[in-house]
Amino acid sequence: MTSFLIGAFLATLISALFTTRLYGLILWYSLNSLSLALLAISIGFKIDDNTMIISGFLTLIVKSIVIPYILKKVSMKFGLARQITPNVPVYYSIMLIPALLVFTFYLAEPITNMMSSNANYVAISISALFLSLLLIIEHKNIAAKIIGFLTIENSLFLLGTTATNGMPMLVELGIFFDLLMAIVIINLLFKSEELS
Amino acid sequence: MILYIFSIMLLIFLAPLMPSFMKMVKMYLLYKKPISIFQGYRDFSKLLSKEIIISKETSAITTIAPFLVLSPLLLTLFFLPPIVRGEYYVSFVDAFTITGLISLSTFFLMLIGLDSASSFGGLGSSREAFISALVEPAMILTLFSVSLMAKDLGIGQDGINLSLHFPSAHIASFIFAGISFFILLIAENGRIPVDNPETHLELTMVHEAMILDLSGFYLLLIESAGSVKFIIFASIFVSLFVPFGLNLPVILAILVFIAKLFILAIIVALLEVNIAKLRLFKVPNLLGIAIVFAFLSLITFYVLGA
Repeated sequence: MTSFLIGAFLATLISALFTTRLYGLILWYSLNSLSLALLAISIGFKIDDNTMIISGFLTLIVKSIVIPYILKKVSMKFGLARQITPNVPVYYSIMLIPALLVFTFYLAEPITNMMSSNANYVAISISALFLSLLLIIEHKNIAAKIIGFLTIENSLFLLGTTATNGMPMLVELGIFFDLLMAIVIINLLFKSEELS
Repeated sequence: MILYIFSIMLLIFLAPLMPSFMKMVKMYLLYKKPISIFQGYRDFSKLLSKEIIISKETSAITTIAPFLVLSPLLLTLFFLPPIVRGEYYVSFVDAFTITGLISLSTFFLMLIGLDSASSFGGLGSSREAFISALVEPAMILTLFSVSLMAKDLGIGQDGINLSLHFPSAHIASFIFAGISFFILLIAENGRIPVDNPETHLELTMVHEAMILDLSGFYLLLIESAGSVKFIIFASIFVSLFVPFGLNLPVILAILVFIAKLFILAIIVALLEVNIAKLRLFKVPNLLGIAIVFAFLSLITFYVLGA
């Protein structure tokens, strides 16, 4: 189950890299967060950790429902361009993404050798980090860049969940509030985008 | 051996049924009066009685190539994974052979398009080459990653191994391979996001553009090749990626297999109704996703073992 959800996490991220529509991108982000939340909840039940279950449900509500909803509303309100074409051509992406995956999987090998359990997930979350960086680089559109930023946050959450068996509750809550504040600031950014 | 021959006959019998079934489901969903499910057979018998007209400009290729389009596909039918437990099957045929035979058939199809020297034919051939060049690497990678999970290179043996030991430890890479193969199934058979088999509009034609000049018996061969190709892809998909029901009693196993094929056809038809056709230069995006997922499945298997 865990391995399936991790696979879904990576699959939605890669599909997001190939999307050319803004709302499609937001949908993929929402599905990405959904798989992350289900992962956190299932791991939380497995190791019987209440804080992880709570943060999983918070992820489910905030990241997979509230943030995509707000982003969609805001981008509709300011009439942002719905067609977002990546700067990196698809032919290069086809080469680049597998190369990145291989590179990061081997990059993470010293770390995974140190760990006793869940070693694979560390490698996957580091590669997800790099893929979301690619998502930021390949778009000029501000909304797509923001989605890239949010997926970086997702992959850090994945790293925290799987590598350390859950960060302290306080840190998680702090991150959620930071994200909500970031969304408010993004609102202003969209406005300046509209003016320019 | 009797079961082996019976299963091949069954697949050949089902082949014309699937496209007309998908068309029926689509028409039903669009509130049209649906065509009969046996329309495939009716077309077959109609084309059989029509006369053959061949353009003056064509060479001998047009008279030979339709047979060479169909025969590699018919050969592939013998190498598919078994339907029933205890059936005879060819165990040693690997991903390269299956992909190679399918590409051989596509090659002769492209020759037909070029041979009659009409402008449409060349256009269709170049598009087909463009698509199938991207399909092949993804297909080889996908089939290899499934072979690795089933611990045998032969496709026929893989079907049995997967049904005995479902690779639940490798579920992530199994699902990646499944997604990739499903995209290939749609792309290679010219279903809607890639090609629309029902229109004769010059902007959208890929498959139809190549066979515009054919008539009668030759058209019949090409059309049957199309439906046989779909049944090959569908049966590989259901035996490798939905590997259940092989161990049931013979009659039940065959019924389960047919039910799986029809469910797959319904899924493809639903997808066709809901999705608009992609612009031709967007098709590499879709196939790029297929290639990346196939590669991802191999990588996850090798590096992570998940």
